[in-house]
Amino acid sequence: MRWSLRRISAVWAAKITEKISIHIFRRQGAAWAGKIALKICPSILHELAGQVGRGIFAVCGTNGKTTVNNLLCAAIEAEGYRVVCNHTGSNMLNGIASAFAVCAGLDGNLKADYACIEIDEASAGRVIRHFRPDYMVLTNLFRDQLDRYGEIDTAMKILGRVMRQAPEMKVVVNGDEPLSAFLAMDSGNPCITYGIHDPVRACDPFREIREGRFCRRCGTGLDYHFYHYSQLGDYYCPKCGFQRPGLQFNACNIEFGKELTFTVEDKRIHSAHKGFYNIYNILAAYAALRTAGLGGKHFARVAGSYEPENGRMEEFWIGGVRVMLNLAKNPAGFNQNIDVVMQDENIKDLLIVINDNDQDGRDISWLWDVDFERLKRTATGSVMVSGLRCSDMMLRMKYAGIASEIEADVRKAVKRSVREGCGNLYVLVNYTALYDIRNILRNCR
Amino acid sequence: MDTADMKLTIGHLYPDLLNLYGDRGNIVCMVKRCLWRGIRAETIEFNMGDRVDFSKLDIVLLGGGSDREQKIVCRELRRIRREFQRYIEDNGVVIAVCGGYQLLGRYYRTKDDIIEGLGLLDIYTEQGDGRLIGNIVLDSEWSDVPVVGFENHGGRTYIGGHKPFGRVLYGAGNDGKSGYEGVVYKNVTGTYLHGPLLPKNAQICDHLIKKALERKYGPVQLKKLDDGMEMAANAYICSRFAGRKRATLV
Repeated sequence: MRWSLRRISAVWAAKITEKISIHIFRRQGAAWAGKIALKICPSILHELAGQVGRGIFAVCGTNGKTTVNNLLCAAIEAEGYRVVCNHTGSNMLNGIASAFAVCAGLDGNLKADYACIEIDEASAGRVIRHFRPDYMVLTNLFRDQLDRYGEIDTAMKILGRVMRQAPEMKVVVNGDEPLSAFLAMDSGNPCITYGIHDPVRACDPFREIREGRFCRRCGTGLDYHFYHYSQLGDYYCPKCGFQRPGLQFNACNIEFGKELTFTVEDKRIHSAHKGFYNIYNILAAYAALRTAGLGGKHFARVAGSYEPENGRMEEFWIGGVRVMLNLAKNPAGFNQNIDVVMQDENIKDLLIVINDNDQDGRDISWLWDVDFERLKRTATGSVMVSGLRCSDMMLRMKYAGIASEIEADVRKAVKRSVREGCGNLYVLVNYTALYDIRNILRNCR
Repeated sequence: MDTADMKLTIGHLYPDLLNLYGDRGNIVCMVKRCLWRGIRAETIEFNMGDRVDFSKLDIVLLGGGSDREQKIVCRELRRIRREFQRYIEDNGVVIAVCGGYQLLGRYYRTKDDIIEGLGLLDIYTEQGDGRLIGNIVLDSEWSDVPVVGFENHGGRTYIGGHKPFGRVLYGAGNDGKSGYEGVVYKNVTGTYLHGPLLPKNAQICDHLIKKALERKYGPVQLKKLDDGMEMAANAYICSRFAGRKRATLV
């Protein structure tokens, strides 16, 4: 344990900033605390990460980062360890620095066994300069906010570089997703795979945009024995032999009944959250846990009782009305959300809120890549659209053949949907709307 | 002739590869606006290796893709260049967006590569410093209201003596300097606007439908539709952005 006045001041400054600003500015507060800490002590992240006793996980990928990271953290804590985690999903350099600084003691030292850190793809290169993770979890790669991140190729380049810079880092990867799997296998890093080996009776098939149609190794069109969704499935290249790798952690005996159940290794997992993608999220956390050599004795219990927060299938009850809030920020995520809505056989209302602030991506053309048309086949009471780009969303619904109501004011839209609806409301929102709506719903509760 | 007996066939070229910016919305928009008028509309998707019979097509849509995908498509398209050219000279309707727009030209020169285009139009594209990204508003003679969309391109396209699709009111346009956006040649429209282009610019969509019908059936009058939602979405972008200064260079 070493003392550093600089680090102590940085830790104190971060703690104070976070305390004050998180109340006023919510999530951005975390980023500011980290920014100040790094200003005072530029090596703080390096130093504190060095104090993590047993291992650091970096959770990357387009969708599922926050859920996987928080579930992994809960699972490790259940094994009796202390964990640093950027719970809020503040996943750029400043947010990550803040997670470490705020978790440190007043003496500027960190007492943690593990760190679970989700990292924004575009920031991964900057973060890796401060510390080397022992494990990377790579969930999937989809198109996301093209105006901010650029094409998927850009994210792949950055992540590939990170893997090469940390050649000992074990990569826990979704083997069903060809882009992620290729990246991990091509890196030369030790690779651990998870996935769903056999076809599953999922939602009805529909025409989705699939990324990575061409073999990354040789450029030939990939063939599939079957798809799970998007480009996830059992793929193979007819020319060079690139194919889905063997799956070390396989989910089998999958059932979508009252709840989602499946088996991985010797554990039967039950989850209240039935989205197909949720299998992958749980599997990713489990595979990471096991890769670190932990037994996962408590994993089934943790996963079963895990209540997502931060608006990832977060449930609210407001005067007898059930409200499910979920983030939907790109076509793959949105299509999966629609699956969840359609699995609910009860009648439901829908509120879709779309903003185009910088953090959302200013380009919302992806709304036309989402298969809203499918919603015609499920019983909806009402559909309301809101947010900065509500008139775009309404137009999208018109061309999907679905009538909707418009209420630009988010607060009014939420209140109306809750008050006038059928008692079962799904709220699907993109990034910047999420925090406002969460607060509105919490205050209603 | 009653439009009820009419039919349009839309050819969507390589949707598996060129689908980056919601181009499916352009197809949906054309199809629905035909159907709402009782005009039958069929979409044929052509993937790599498929034979494209331009004589069966009334509208061709060429979308945008990533650089690597654009290259693959270009190789494929060069094989049918002559048929494509004949279709264009015969007043076939083409809407080419983003990467598809660039492909129509002679070449796209990047920092370390030169991608040969189809050379259907005497225009060319060169990679500039940074990408031109942001909302964009145009004044175009094919629409009474401004044309709105989103642009995201690293290439700067030079259209020489060709007619532009519109004059930039807000945003960057072809090269960020000329003040013009897109290109129009016969019934070919090339543009950087996605968003997608057609739903919020219903008059442009109708213009394409009308041109395609007239090529096939002679003069037609399109039935008016209730475009309240289309106009509202368009007006929102206009009022929020038009009149302000150019989009930031990223």
